[in-house]
Amino acid sequence: MLAIELVIQGIVQGAIYALIALGLVLVYGLLRILHVAHAALYTLGAYIGVIIVNHGGHIIVATAVAMVAVGFVGVGVYRFAYKPLLDKPPLIALIASIGMFIAAEEIYRIIFGAYGMSFEQPPLQQQIELFKGFHLSTARISVVFLSILFIGVLGWLAASTRTGIAWRATVSDAGMAASFGVNIEKVRYINFFIGSALAALAGVMVALLNNLVEPTMGAVPAYKALAIIVLGGLGSVRGTLVASIALGIIESFGTIYLGHVMDRDAIAFTFLIIVLMIRPQGLLTRR
Amino acid sequence: MLRVSQLSCGYGNVIAVNELSFTVKPGEIFGLIGANGAGKSATILALAGLIDVICGKVELEGQDITHLPTHQRVNAGIALVPEGRRVFADLTVNENLIVGATRMDKPRLDAGCKRVFTTFPRLAERRNQLAGLLSGGEQQMLAIARALMAEPSVLLIDELSLGLMPIVVDECYRVLEALRKEQLAIVLVEQSTERVQQVANRVSVLETGRVVWQGTGEQAARDSSIVEAYLGLK
Repeated sequence: MLAIELVIQGIVQGAIYALIALGLVLVYGLLRILHVAHAALYTLGAYIGVIIVNHGGHIIVATAVAMVAVGFVGVGVYRFAYKPLLDKPPLIALIASIGMFIAAEEIYRIIFGAYGMSFEQPPLQQQIELFKGFHLSTARISVVFLSILFIGVLGWLAASTRTGIAWRATVSDAGMAASFGVNIEKVRYINFFIGSALAALAGVMVALLNNLVEPTMGAVPAYKALAIIVLGGLGSVRGTLVASIALGIIESFGTIYLGHVMDRDAIAFTFLIIVLMIRPQGLLTRR
Repeated sequence: MLRVSQLSCGYGNVIAVNELSFTVKPGEIFGLIGANGAGKSATILALAGLIDVICGKVELEGQDITHLPTHQRVNAGIALVPEGRRVFADLTVNENLIVGATRMDKPRLDAGCKRVFTTFPRLAERRNQLAGLLSGGEQQMLAIARALMAEPSVLLIDELSLGLMPIVVDECYRVLEALRKEQLAIVLVEQSTERVQQVANRVSVLETGRVVWQGTGEQAARDSSIVEAYLGLK
């Protein structure tokens, strides 16, 4: 019974990692940039969500607004930070990204305060009994449900629509895709919008689970998401999803069985380091 | 008609092609040959909009396309079969064709698929396979088929026979002949001269970015020793 509970808790956590890491892997696939500042967008989404709910907005409205607003901020990050650096070595964009991430944390501290922010009345806290003796909050169920929904819809779009095929062609060879009429600039905008909106969704969900939003809440997820996309095989969406869920489950078992020696993040990074030592090419690498 | 006048282009600050001029009419194959680094590929990439034109002019059916963004050139009627084929390896054969037909509506996409599958029955058999898993010859056929999906008036082909088995090269050249009959204008870049001399209406030989010899395909075949001298083969 405990094992099933831990797996479910792991999936909840893994779903959040997946939402964050997806945006990162989408950007990496398209531009070969390690978009560290992505985690700052996740934090921004969390703040927007909490503020709207505390001003009387419904959690659904708050989530939607956070996703759309952060989506546009992500497009802005591409347009004003990465686009001018595209013909420079990728290292330069990475440094810019780290700079943006640090700057964003300080901006949040100045605007929203250093002590964090909580829901005055946390929504979605009702406990639902999944099976005998095992309760899960509506918030946790929503995390898993929304992740499956959004990732599923995205997967379907990418596999089955002409826009999705054009997007995958752009990832595969941008120059050739452009030569057949794919507007790759538009693809990049859409890419940043979707990736950033998913990060915002993750942010709001984490705010619901922890009932705490802090300026630095993006730091640990930023490092974990980077490790996850390497684990997923850098550029593979499927690999990233598997790595996210695996990490979530490892963490949830680890905190129970190893919690007395290491904390949650230490367990996660130990796992990531060990796996990357054994399989530096990623978990499910093709080719 | 494709008219290239005084075209200069290159990679960054390196000029690869110097004041190149030629025209290709519908139903014509224009062969561009030369040794490695002569500027053949740069010419093709500049026409496709994948590298910048430094000076000169490119016109297609009277429209100036010199500085048209890459993704709008396909509307003007240009399609590219690039060096190394560059099929979308993670996409299936079918999906590659769909990208080729990006600017087409659904009925024209379906008609296009039907057409290229008749031309290349082998692709029809492999339509749901990943393009990256095809053999080199099949990938070259896919690259040609993908370009044809765009219903171009000018087909740019870079190194058609490079790395392919002779029997596959024969098949590709048969397709070119057929396309010429359908009034396509074809710019054909090759390192190997013999086949180009056989099919091309006109041939130019490039050396370090300049035209050093030009004439008809028959003349090139007759003066093959001169042509080969320029290519550094003798």
